[in-house]
Amino acid sequence: MRNRRTRLLAAPLFALLGIVAFAGPASASGESVGSCMAHHLDEAVEHNNGDLHATLADHHVQDELEKCFEAPSPILPEINEVIWGGAAFLILFVLMVKKGFPAVKGAMDARAEKIRNDLDAAEQARTDAQAVQADYEARLADAKAEASRLIDEARGAADRVKTDLEASHEAAMADLRTRATADIESSRTQAIAGLRAEVAEIALGAAERVVQSSLDADVQGRLIDAYIDEVAGDNG
Amino acid sequence: MADSRVTGYADALFAVAAAEGDLATVEDELFRFAQALRSNEQLSSTLADQGVPASRRQQVVEDLLGGKASATTTALVSMVVGAGRAADLPAIVDALVERSAASRNKSVATVRSAVDLTADQRDRLASAINTRTGRDVEIKVVIDPTVLGGVVTEIGDDIIDGSVRRRLNQLRESFR
Repeated sequence: MRNRRTRLLAAPLFALLGIVAFAGPASASGESVGSCMAHHLDEAVEHNNGDLHATLADHHVQDELEKCFEAPSPILPEINEVIWGGAAFLILFVLMVKKGFPAVKGAMDARAEKIRNDLDAAEQARTDAQAVQADYEARLADAKAEASRLIDEARGAADRVKTDLEASHEAAMADLRTRATADIESSRTQAIAGLRAEVAEIALGAAERVVQSSLDADVQGRLIDAYIDEVAGDNG
Repeated sequence: MADSRVTGYADALFAVAAAEGDLATVEDELFRFAQALRSNEQLSSTLADQGVPASRRQQVVEDLLGGKASATTTALVSMVVGAGRAADLPAIVDALVERSAASRNKSVATVRSAVDLTADQRDRLASAINTRTGRDVEIKVVIDPTVLGGVVTEIGDDIIDGSVRRRLNQLRESFR
């Protein structure tokens, strides 16, 4: 990653150095009219051995000086500019082809790979999230089903307990009623029996007193005679 | 007291009474005295009280029977009481009566009644019992007011109850 970034910075740096390095020669072709005339005039004076009047009178020199007043072509650059520009372009092109383009391509490829990996990771994360969500939903459904089952069981147990309690209560009440009825009946029977016994004792006491008062000697004798006859007549 | 001791005393009393030649009288008087002991708990406990000197107890016997019973009867009772066997006297007398009746090839029929039976009634009752059970019996009458009326006859383990008390008891049971 760091090499890729270094290569990306190197490409424009090389282009800037080329422009700076070859800027001087290019600007030399675009010199001013005065300097052009001075340059030609100086060469012509030197050629004429210092004779300024002869130099100025020379038609060839005048033509050369006249050319300094001609404007450069708006379409065609100077030859040297073409040469320097083409060379710079070629150098820059070669550098771009050799260094910049691979660097950019590598960066783009890396970027694409990274994006692809990120997309894959995102897809995997989404898949994982979906799996987790499915698992969570399944567990939630299981938990709901378990809770529902527990609630149903608890409701069933409560119903059974309620039924048992009601049955037990009914049985206890029935037993209580039965025992109460039996107790009442027993008390009634005992009361009746006691009353009958008491009445019987009173009646028997009265009867005994009547019998005693009526058992005189004559009656006693007749009772004994009757007993003797009974014993004699009963052979069994 | 062991049965053998009761039987021994009964045999001794029987022998003495027989030797004196007045067995029936002595037997009857002893029987009556035994019934009196059975019905009188105070008399029975007094005569059986070992804390009372034997002479004192024998004096009580003399006071009770003297002039009312034969000398043999008084002497025999005094002897038993003096020996400290007053509590066993009823059982001894019962054995004596059985022994005496057995000597005549008879059984004893104890008859409880509110009033005494006449001689005719005793004979007819003995005859009726003979007719019913096939056994010759001697009638021993016990006056028992609780019978109220009628007769209860006991011959060994057999009981023939014709008393008014039984009928009242039956009536009482029917009320229950």
